[in-house]
Amino acid sequence: MENISSEYLDEKLETVRNIDFLQYRSKELPTWCPGCGYFGIVDALYRACRELNLKNEDIVTVSGIGCSGRTPVFINSYGFHTLHGRSIPVASGLKLAREDLTVFAVAGDGDALGIGGGHLPHVARKNINITFLLFDNSIYGLTKGQSSSTTPYEMKTNSHPAGNPDTPLNPVRLALSYGASFVARGYAGDPEGLKEIIKKATLHQGFSFVQILTPCVTFDKENRTWKNLKLKVTGLKLCVEGKNMETAMRIAEDEPHGVGIIYQDKDRPHYQEILRTINKAG
Amino acid sequence: MKDINIVIEICGSAGEGTISAGEILSRFMSGQGFEIMSFDSYPAEIRGFGKCVAHTRISSNPIYSPGKFVDVLISLNDKHSISQLGSLKESGVLIYDSQPARPHKEDESAVGWTKPGMVSYGIPLNMLAHKAAGNARGMNMVALGVIAALFHMEKDQFTDSIKARYGKKKQIVIDSNVNSFIEGYGWTKENIKKNDSYSFKGVNLPEQKEKLIINGNQLVARAALDSNLSFYAGYPITPATKIMEILSRELPKHGGTLLQTEDEISAIGAVVGAGFGGKRAMTATSGPGFALMTEFTGLSVMAEVPAVIINSQRGGPSTGIPTKTEQSDFNSAVSGGTGDCPRIVLAPTDTKSCYDAVVLALYLAEKYQTLVVVLMDFFLSNSIKNIDVPQKPLPEYLNANIAPGKDELKDYKRYKITKNGISPRAVPGTKGGIFFSTGLEHDEYGRPDYGEAGHLKMTRKRFKKFNAVLSEAPAPEISISGKNEFDIGVISWGSSAGAAHEAVMSAQKEGINASSFSSMMVSPFPQKALIEFSDKCKKILIPELNFSGQFAGFTSHILKRPVEKLNFITGRPMASEDIIQKMREM
Ligand SMILES: Cc1ncc(C[n+]2csc(CCOP(=O)(O)OP(=O)(O)O)c2C)c(N)n1
Ligand code: SF4
Ligand SMILES: [Mg+2]
Repeated sequence: MENISSEYLDEKLETVRNIDFLQYRSKELPTWCPGCGYFGIVDALYRACRELNLKNEDIVTVSGIGCSGRTPVFINSYGFHTLHGRSIPVASGLKLAREDLTVFAVAGDGDALGIGGGHLPHVARKNINITFLLFDNSIYGLTKGQSSSTTPYEMKTNSHPAGNPDTPLNPVRLALSYGASFVARGYAGDPEGLKEIIKKATLHQGFSFVQILTPCVTFDKENRTWKNLKLKVTGLKLCVEGKNMETAMRIAEDEPHGVGIIYQDKDRPHYQEILRTINKAG
Repeated sequence: MKDINIVIEICGSAGEGTISAGEILSRFMSGQGFEIMSFDSYPAEIRGFGKCVAHTRISSNPIYSPGKFVDVLISLNDKHSISQLGSLKESGVLIYDSQPARPHKEDESAVGWTKPGMVSYGIPLNMLAHKAAGNARGMNMVALGVIAALFHMEKDQFTDSIKARYGKKKQIVIDSNVNSFIEGYGWTKENIKKNDSYSFKGVNLPEQKEKLIINGNQLVARAALDSNLSFYAGYPITPATKIMEILSRELPKHGGTLLQTEDEISAIGAVVGAGFGGKRAMTATSGPGFALMTEFTGLSVMAEVPAVIINSQRGGPSTGIPTKTEQSDFNSAVSGGTGDCPRIVLAPTDTKSCYDAVVLALYLAEKYQTLVVVLMDFFLSNSIKNIDVPQKPLPEYLNANIAPGKDELKDYKRYKITKNGISPRAVPGTKGGIFFSTGLEHDEYGRPDYGEAGHLKMTRKRFKKFNAVLSEAPAPEISISGKNEFDIGVISWGSSAGAAHEAVMSAQKEGINASSFSSMMVSPFPQKALIEFSDKCKKILIPELNFSGQFAGFTSHILKRPVEKLNFITGRPMASEDIIQKMREM
């Protein structure tokens, strides 16, 4: 543990008193383990909502099951904690029926790429206008440390004590090839940077996919730890702006810890726009 | 003046126009003022020359079942028709091609398989079709001409019906169909000496009302639109697909949205999402899809989010028999899934009640904030009836959400315990109404709560709400009331109820003292009415289309008395004839 000076603490407390994004925090005390990366993620989410000036009652946060599934409890918005893997279908139906709302769908890596992996291609290709936040800690947190779809090959987990025999998925590459119109990567350890990404994702008209690198401090002591993340996470080295699939794919392959907006297609209409045009023409 | 009640079947190969001929016949007869019910069967394969049967019952009185035995069989293809002869009545009529394109081998001609007492008419169907239009395609219309001539149907009006059917096609298509009909009609009048007693002349008909010729799937879509459905999500599956196809055309015109999803989990998930948003939403499926939806049925009940699922049952389990009718999802609909999970299940008993069930389902789901399953089957989805145009839902059925008042929003408890279990529901966008919903057990605010007392309190709340639904159950249908004692009481559900009613009515004429009971709402079940009925009956008979007697098991549990079961898994709809037979034996 680092030594923390009392001046430093006072200064921190002062900023906390002055921030106005607290209106997006619910009264519930988070139940996550101390030090969990998820605190940074909701922090970024509060700030993004503040800067976007969203009305609390016009936000709905939809989650699946997992430690990440608890997110809506801690946000002062309408919240729906659904089923393991199913935040995408519920958020999609909600957004299509209520275009006026801002809909965040959150999911863990098990949620999004394991049990609910079948939904991702379709919400992406349909370009349904929701913001999808993947809390990627590369482990099953809530069920206490089994391998997930992003756990590295050979890493020892509670379900694979001899080492994970499965090759991990590459979430950004998947999102790109499924045709997501907005793909980004953020880092739970940098709430300010993540806030910017979530803001852009929310403003994007279409399906926005944000992979968030975050540690599970309790069940992963060797791979995606704070220490490793601090060493590895950087800004994107390859320069991208907007719609450049080739570079975006290179980032997916070569920069697994590069943080920033990886791909954005602003011209593609979102699903409701498509439906309106098609139904008018038909 | 006399009554008539007759079943006509046209049997041919796929692609011979068998089904269209049946359709024209039933439309025409409905227009003439008769009651009609038709139920066709065709091969599951899209291509090929499989057997098609257009089955139509025509009557001057109300029809409750399609009729098991056939009065008139028209064979467009003897190879297929031979197996249909088994259901031709002993005094029935066979119409067959006397000069088929390829001469039949000895045992391949339908007429060779008729029994003494049957009347057969050999008509050169193929030859007449060639004469009228230069090819065999018009054989189906020639056949219609033959029956029009034989059974005294109005020729000119029949011709108009054919014209109307092909109205949008090229003139040459209309002409060849009409000419084929006239050819068949003329030849029969000239060459056939009538030898049977069937005739539509001088039949006593009830007063003409505007009629809708429609099947259950079409009515489901219509009821949903009339009930202000705003969102539909679905995944294709026989026999429910048509509902999605109709709504994909119609829903956008009504300002709604249709989503074809990647699977049924996603479909019901999206419906629950839209329901959470305060919009009316539904999906339709069959057994395999219903199985996938199970996890969300629990969430809908637990998180108290309105959702409507139409399950049109087919043969099961698993992929089962996609194109055959069965009533084997009763257990799964009423009690499938995990936990103590009370849900509303409505089982329409005939074509018309498919409309009523959907109107009621969308209303109840919204008001009671829960799951409603509408349990139809292949037969109800696809059989066609002419019915009175349904009355549109009353305004109170269209807007049923109980929203929280200003006072309640001061300290809003989304899951507040109330007298009837219904907690006022805010929808997203409501200021001061912010809440959190979860499939976890929760307290009145919606916060996760695993406490023993909390779980009991909330489970009781969900059941209280469920029981309150009973006050909205449509009155059970009882064939014969006003008597205090019956030898046999027939208790049925869903599409079997029509046959049960019909059986009881016919049994009266044989001197069997019986009545029948059915309730569209099967969960919660109007137990009091059921027990009252049962108390009047010496014996109870429960006919249904499944092997194990799922509803019989459910019912005997309520009645605490033994019941007689009658079960079929033939893939055919329940037949009143089979019920009567059983009643005679009891
Ligand atoms: C259908 C179903 N299967 C299994 C579970 C148990 N379960 C709950 S969360 C979870 C995995 C969570 O991992 P992840 O999605 O990565 O979320 P995290 O806890 O890491 O945030 C599992 C297997 C469940 N709730 N539902
Ligand atoms: S188990 Fe892991 S993911 Fe879950 S709260 Fe604890 S640190 Fe976070
Ligand atoms: Mg995880």
